[in-house]
Amino acid sequence: MDIGLSESSNSLHQHGGPLPQNRRGRGFSAAFQQWQKRLSFKQHPLEYIILGITLALVLAFTTLIEGFLTVGNLLILAQNSTALAILGCGMAAVIINRGLDLSQISVMVAVSAVFGLMLSNGADYMMAMGAAFILALILGALNGWLVAYIEIPALMSTLATAMLIAGFCRWGILQGEFLVLIPKDLPQVIYISTGKISIFPVSVVIGIVVLIATFILLNLTVLGRMFYAMGDNYIAARLSGLSVRTATIWLYIFSAITAFIAGIIVSSSSGTVDFRIVTNGTMLFEVIMVVVLGGIPLRGGRGGVFNLIIGVVLISVLQNGMTLLNLSGQIQDLVKGLILISAIVIDNYINPKDTETNTQGDL
Amino acid sequence: MSSAENSDFLGSQSKVRKQHTVLSYRRIISDLLNRNWIEGAIPFITFFVLITAILITTDGYFSPSNLNTLAQYSSDVAIVTIAMLLVVAIGGIDLSVGSTFALSAFVALYLFHIAGLPIYVVFPLTLVCGALIGLFNGFLTGILGCGALLATLGTMITVRGIFVIVSQAYLVEISNSARVDATWDYVGFENFMGIPVSFWALIVVTIAVYLMFKYTRFGWHILAVGGNRKAARHAGIHLKWVIVLSYTLGGALVGLAGFLFAARQNSAGSDTGVGLEFFVLTGLVLGLGGFTPGRGSVFSTLLGFATIFILGNVLTNAGFRGDFITGIMGLILITILTIDMKYRKERHRMLARAYLDPTTLKVDPVRDMGKLALEFGSTKLEGASLLGVGEVDGPEDVILDREGNLYCGTRDGRIMKLFAPDHTRVETYVKTGGRPLGLAFDAEERLVVCVAGMGLYRIAGPGQIERLTSQTKRSWTSIEDDRHIRMADDLDIAPDGKIYFSDATKRYEMETWGLDLLEGRGNGRLLCYDPTDGTTKTVCNNLIFPNGVCLTHDGRHLLVASTWMCAILIFDLERMQDGPRYFARGLPGYPDNINRSSDSGYWIALAGMRSPIVDLAMENPDFRLRMAKRVPPTNWLFGNLNIGGVLKSDANGEIIDAYWDKSDGPLYMITSMREHRGSLFLGGVTNNKIGRIDLAEADTGWNGPDSYWSGSK
Repeated sequence: MDIGLSESSNSLHQHGGPLPQNRRGRGFSAAFQQWQKRLSFKQHPLEYIILGITLALVLAFTTLIEGFLTVGNLLILAQNSTALAILGCGMAAVIINRGLDLSQISVMVAVSAVFGLMLSNGADYMMAMGAAFILALILGALNGWLVAYIEIPALMSTLATAMLIAGFCRWGILQGEFLVLIPKDLPQVIYISTGKISIFPVSVVIGIVVLIATFILLNLTVLGRMFYAMGDNYIAARLSGLSVRTATIWLYIFSAITAFIAGIIVSSSSGTVDFRIVTNGTMLFEVIMVVVLGGIPLRGGRGGVFNLIIGVVLISVLQNGMTLLNLSGQIQDLVKGLILISAIVIDNYINPKDTETNTQGDL
Repeated sequence: MSSAENSDFLGSQSKVRKQHTVLSYRRIISDLLNRNWIEGAIPFITFFVLITAILITTDGYFSPSNLNTLAQYSSDVAIVTIAMLLVVAIGGIDLSVGSTFALSAFVALYLFHIAGLPIYVVFPLTLVCGALIGLFNGFLTGILGCGALLATLGTMITVRGIFVIVSQAYLVEISNSARVDATWDYVGFENFMGIPVSFWALIVVTIAVYLMFKYTRFGWHILAVGGNRKAARHAGIHLKWVIVLSYTLGGALVGLAGFLFAARQNSAGSDTGVGLEFFVLTGLVLGLGGFTPGRGSVFSTLLGFATIFILGNVLTNAGFRGDFITGIMGLILITILTIDMKYRKERHRMLARAYLDPTTLKVDPVRDMGKLALEFGSTKLEGASLLGVGEVDGPEDVILDREGNLYCGTRDGRIMKLFAPDHTRVETYVKTGGRPLGLAFDAEERLVVCVAGMGLYRIAGPGQIERLTSQTKRSWTSIEDDRHIRMADDLDIAPDGKIYFSDATKRYEMETWGLDLLEGRGNGRLLCYDPTDGTTKTVCNNLIFPNGVCLTHDGRHLLVASTWMCAILIFDLERMQDGPRYFARGLPGYPDNINRSSDSGYWIALAGMRSPIVDLAMENPDFRLRMAKRVPPTNWLFGNLNIGGVLKSDANGEIIDAYWDKSDGPLYMITSMREHRGSLFLGGVTNNKIGRIDLAEADTGWNGPDSYWSGSK
C-alpha cells in the first residue's frame, strides 16, 4: 500500500515541500526516492542555477575582497539580510497562495512607526510592542478581507492598501515627518540591535526562528497545506470544501506579522523608522525578488522555505560583496533590477504558462 | 349597424382610466441595472460631485487663468494615463511609466542642453527612448510571456537606477546650460489659440487613440486581446506582436510626456516621476470604474484622471500634504474596486430581485351571465372534432383562407398549413424562427403574422417570409430602451392597409409572460405599422397585457382584449389619441384573441377562468411580491388555465352565447377561434390540436377574408 501511494503522490507533487499525506508508514526506499526527486536537478533547475551563481559569487568575492569569507563578515551578512528573510517568509506564503502583498513594507513601516512613537513617548516596551502587533493584525486582516470577501485581486487591493496605509499613517501618526527616532538607550532595543546569543546576533536568531516557524506552518499545519492547495488551484480548493476565505485572511495576517517582526528588528538596529523605504520602493522589490529568485513561481502552489533561503543567500551575498567593492547604491539597485528581470525570464522559461488556455493576461 | 349608432354607442361607454407612465423605484432600479452605461456612470458622477463641491467651497478655481495653469501642468501626466490605458487595455500593466517618464525627460534635457541638438531631432529621439523601454517591456511580457507586473517592476527599478546614475552625472551641467530656443520655450510655456501647447498635444493624442480604438484594426486587436486572450488567439490575431506594439506605443507616449515635462520644467530631479504609476493607475481605475482590461474608453479614463488631478490640486491648495493625498487615493482605489467587484457580482442578483414589480390591479367583478355561466354546465365544445392532433404544437392562433385551408403557428417557430377540405394533410408552410402568434390576411391574401420575440412578418407564399417591422419609436420617459417589440401578440388590418398589433408586454418574454400577471401593470402597448411608408408607431402605450386585436365590422373601430383586466377595450380609429373605452368588462375569464362572427358579433376566446382569490391577490401587490420571492413558481397562485371557452358577444359587447370546454379537455386554454363557413375552429397555445365544431345557426357562406376584403376585391 505504501509504495503505491507514495509513487503516485510523487508524480503529483513536484514542489519542494514534503508530502502532506501518508507521512507515517512510509517505507524507507520510498522516502529515499522522494528525497532523490526533491534534490534532482531536473525537477528544480532554477534552485541549482541560483546556488551555482551564489557559489560563483562567493568564490569571486573571496578572491576579490580580503576578509569576505570570514565568520565576522558572514555574521554581518546574515544580520543584514535578516529583515529580508523574515519579510520573505510572509511574502513566500502569499506567493505560494498565488497572491501578492504589495503593502507589506507599508505595514512594516506603519507598525514600527507606532512602535517607535509609543516608545519615545515613554510607553512600556511590551505595551508598544503589543499595540504595534495589534495594528499589524488589523492591517493584515484588512488586506485579507479585501482579497477574500470583496474579491478584489490581491495585486490591486494590496496596491491600494499600501497607498492607504502609508499615506494616512504618515499624515495622521507622524504629522508628515518621514523619520521616527527610536530611543536607542532602552535595554530591549539594545538587546535586539546588538545583543548576542553565543556568537549569533539576536536578530539572526529571530530570523532563524521565523524561518523555522514558517517551515512548520507551510509543511506541518492544515493551514499551510491549504495555502498550497489554493495556490495550485483555487477553485478546486474551494470546491473541495476548504475554508478558503478564512485561510486567505490568516495568510495576509501572517504576512503582516512577518512585517511586524521585521519592522521591530529594522527599527531597533537602525534606530529610526524611515518612511522613504516605502516611497522609493526598492525594499518591496527586494522581498519579491528573493522569493522569485529562490524558485517560488508566481503561479503559486510550489516552493517552500528552502527556496526562500536560497534567494536570500544570493541577494545578501551580492549586496555584501557589492558594498565591500564600494559600488554605489544606484549601481546596486541597477544590478538588482537586472537580476530580478533575469530571474523572471528564467522562471518563465522553466515554468512556462499555458498560453493556449490563458484567457486573461497574467499580471 | 350604421356608424352613427356606433359613435353613440361609444359615447355611452365609460372611458378606461388612463394608465400613466410607470414610476416605481423597483422599475427604475431594474431598468438602470439593465443598462450598460450605468457601469460607466461612476467616473461622471464622481467628477461632477467633485466639481460641484469645488464650486461651492472655493472662489475662482475655474477662472480661465487657473484652468490654463492646470491644463499646462496636467497634460503630460494625462498623456501618461493614456499610455497606461493602452497597456491595461491589452491585459497588462506598466509600472515602469514613472521611471520611463523621468528618463525620457532626462534624455530630452541632455540632447537639448548638452548635445545641443535642434528640437526636431530631440523630439523624435525622446520618443524613441520611451518607445525602446516600452519595447523592452513588451518583449518581456509579450514575446517571453512573463507576468507584466513583475517584469515592469524590474524595468522600473532598472530604469530608475539608470536615471539616477546619469542624472547625478549631468543635472548640474544641464541646469547651468544657457541654451535658449524659441521652439523649446514655445512648447513649454506658450499658448496656441489660448490653450497651452502641451494641452494641444494631449488633445491630439486623445483623438488619435480614440480613433485608433474605434476605427483601426490594431485598436480592435488590442481590445480583443485584452477582452479574451484565448478568443483573440483563436481568431488569428498575432497576440505577441499586438502586445509588443501596444507596450511600445505606450512607451512612446510616455516619452512624449517626458519631452513636454522637460520643455516646461527645464530640469529634472531625483524624484521626477516617483509614484507616478500609482497616481496614473488610480486615475485609470476611477475612469474605467475598475481595473478592466479590454476597454478603450479614452474619455472616461481622462475624466477619472482629471478627477484625481483636480482633487489632488485642490487638497494641496487647501494645505493638505502629499501623504494625505496618497492616502485619499488609496481609499478611492479601494472604493472603486469594491464597487466594481460587488456590482459585477451582484448585478444579476439585484436585477432579478428588483425586476418583478407588482402593482394594485382592481379587476371588475364578474358580470352576471345568467344561464350562460360555466356553472350551468353547457359544455358545448364537448363534441368538437379534433384536427392535426400531435402535428401542431401550440397553435396560439388559427386562420382560414377563402379555400378553407387552415393555418396556425407552432411552438417551434413554424407556421403549419392544414389543407382543405378535411384538414388531414399537414405541411410546414413557413419557418419563422420565433414564436408565431397572431395571424391575419391582408387584401392580397398574404398572411401577416405576429412573431413573439421578433416582430411583425409577412408571408407571401410557402417559405417566403419578410420582416415588416421589429421596432417602434422609443418612448422618452422610459429608462429602458423599449424600441424592440418583445412580444407581438395579435394583429388586425384596417381597410386602409394599416396593421394594428399588440405588444403584450415590454418586460417579459414568451416563456415568462406569466410573471406579467403577477405584475398586473400596464406593460403592453398597441402599435400600428403603416405599409405605405414602412413606419411603426406606438398608438397607445401602457395597456395591461393587450392581447387579441380585432377590427369591428364597420372597419372603423378596434377591439383590444386586455387580458389581466378581463375586459375588451375599443378604440376609435379616427380618434386614437382619445384612448380606449370599455367594450365589455367583467368577463368571467381571461380574454385572449377576438375575432369576427358571421352575425356581426364577435368571438372572444377565454384562455383561462378567473377565481376570486386571484382577483383578491391582484389587489395586493405586496402579497404577490412576497409569494414570488418565497414560494417556488410551481406553487404560485395563478389564474386557472385548465379550463377555458369561447364567448360570443353582439356588436355592443353584450355576451349572448358561451361555449365552454369540458373540465378535462381536450381543448384546454383556448386562445383563439375562427368562424369559417358555419364552423368554428379553436386553437390553444398549450394545446397540440385544433378543435372544430359546427355552428347550428351560422351563415354557411361567411368567411374571414371575405368579411374583411370583399369590398376591395
